[in-house]
Amino acid sequence: MAVFMDLSIQSVEKKKLESIIETAAHLGYSAVAVNHVANFEKETKKEIAKPLCHEELFEGALPIVQGTTKPVKIVTRLTIVASDPSHCTEMRTTSQRTKLYDVVSVFPKTEKLFHTACLNLDVDLICINVTEKQPFYFKRAAVNAAISRGIYFELVYTPAIRDSTMRRYTISNALALMQSCKGKNIIISSGAEKPLELRGPYDIANLGLLFGLSEAGAKAAVSTNCRAVILHGATRKTAFGVIYTMPRDEQEDKREATAPASKRSRTEAV
Amino acid sequence: MWETLKKCPRHLLVCEKSSFKSTNSRHSIHVQQHYFNYRVSVLIPECSALPQKIDSIIKDLGSYHLVKDVPLHKLVCEEFITTFLSKGSFYALSYSTRIDQDNAAALLPTGKLIISVDKDTYEELGLEGQSSRYSHKTPMRYVISMDLTASSFAPGGNRYKRVMWALAEKKPLKFDFLMAWNPSDDRRANLISYFSAYQLKEYQPSVAIKTLKDIECPVLQSSDLRATSAESCDAQEFFDWQGVVFNEIESENDSGNFLSTYCCPDPNIVVDQATLCTITGFILPEKIHLLLESLCHYFTEPKLTPWAVLAVHGFADSPVTWREDEHGFHKGGENLYSFVVFRNHDYWLQMAVGANDGCPP
Repeated sequence: MAVFMDLSIQSVEKKKLESIIETAAHLGYSAVAVNHVANFEKETKKEIAKPLCHEELFEGALPIVQGTTKPVKIVTRLTIVASDPSHCTEMRTTSQRTKLYDVVSVFPKTEKLFHTACLNLDVDLICINVTEKQPFYFKRAAVNAAISRGIYFELVYTPAIRDSTMRRYTISNALALMQSCKGKNIIISSGAEKPLELRGPYDIANLGLLFGLSEAGAKAAVSTNCRAVILHGATRKTAFGVIYTMPRDEQEDKREATAPASKRSRTEAV
Repeated sequence: MWETLKKCPRHLLVCEKSSFKSTNSRHSIHVQQHYFNYRVSVLIPECSALPQKIDSIIKDLGSYHLVKDVPLHKLVCEEFITTFLSKGSFYALSYSTRIDQDNAAALLPTGKLIISVDKDTYEELGLEGQSSRYSHKTPMRYVISMDLTASSFAPGGNRYKRVMWALAEKKPLKFDFLMAWNPSDDRRANLISYFSAYQLKEYQPSVAIKTLKDIECPVLQSSDLRATSAESCDAQEFFDWQGVVFNEIESENDSGNFLSTYCCPDPNIVVDQATLCTITGFILPEKIHLLLESLCHYFTEPKLTPWAVLAVHGFADSPVTWREDEHGFHKGGENLYSFVVFRNHDYWLQMAVGANDGCPP
């Protein structure tokens, strides 16, 4: 099994975010994703903010995950809330801003965008609405296409903690999703805005049972599948997931520049 | 769907009965093969203080060491094998590693090194292993085991070079280890001097002795595991009761108690006092065997109580349970066994494991 991860911690102001991440590390999550939401539903032309640099948080001394000796890992995530694919061109691979984020997700509000997201859009996660009754049904063809492309569906659990009506919608939407995807490619994350809204990973695995996942599938929804999402996001920066570029060390460049360019010796065999 | 929600993760309890006097009794093998033990609890009803013999064994349990940041290749190198493995039994278990998430390592006294790694580490390490039995759809965990005392692992050979290259250069793995050494001859100081380059601290197992007053003890019949007559409790009820007593849970079934509605199983008798001794630490099977034998000798003189219990818990994050059976952690990593020793030298052995575990031997 992979380490436990929480892929949705809302990006709030610095001190609050630090306390949420500290709570997550204490609960046993080895990696968290700080979520920046870009709402394109109403306004079409909006700038996507730059992601928060995680070196600024905790001044470099990240909290240690409970039960191990390693510090918690922080990744950045972008969620685009939209209702029409033509609203935002930001979701293309070549977009400047989305390149800065490790994980890109879309929150489709209409069936058309859901269909496009499953088939065409270059995203890692598709968020499923848990706060209101799903306005459209999940088509099995679209869901299967997304699964074959390696896209995961995300269910958030903090609305269920906050309100009982949302609890009903969470469970009913989750069960509807299960019927289409048969428990594959699901992740469960918190969407927490306060430290008290976080729950331990084994508790979330038990919550997954309520959503219709199997025992092993529910635990995978908090661990293995989250790892797959992060790897999927990492492949966006590579060519077909095989070749990747690394920034070259500046000092090495200087050293090479000082050495005189020497001619190739004629005695070398051609 | 509601039917599936009622089920809890699978767990297994194996109960068997035998007698210490029987020649093919496997009690010592069971104790010896459960290598990594975290807690030992002894409960003796009708007894106000620990018997002197058991007390002396508990005072002489031996120490264990926590050594930080030891590279794994140090446990594989030739010097280590000749200094320790051939001269006694060496137990090492990685500390602060979770078996379902991180890499873990264990060195068994038989000379086998078991490394349980996640998928990324396995692919980077380059050693041959098998995928874990408890994988969901794709294998995410692999178990590499190597016999350090085998002739194929002779230093200088190809296998040895490959392992040293993988562990020292390709993907250096470092763990904090809990170590204990039981030398076959009397040379105890070597462990501290061998690992002097690392941060090492010596610990003694912590012992807590408590006298319980007025507790209800179930009535048992040694020949009857399943309690076919209504005159004794069955093994499963007794196992649950043991858990209640060892964790000091209230079993009065008070109307005002919100935490526990547990009742002692019928038939039971109220006992004036009982001694409960709990030992926590990195405890060797050899010492547990001595404890078991002394508990058996306790009944050579006539005693009021018909039975006494010795329960042993294994580490939740150990890569192995008995012998080399793989241990997994689903939602709980319990692997424990308990001996119920009777007056007539019969015993019940109850072994319990959790979800991601094979059946105990």
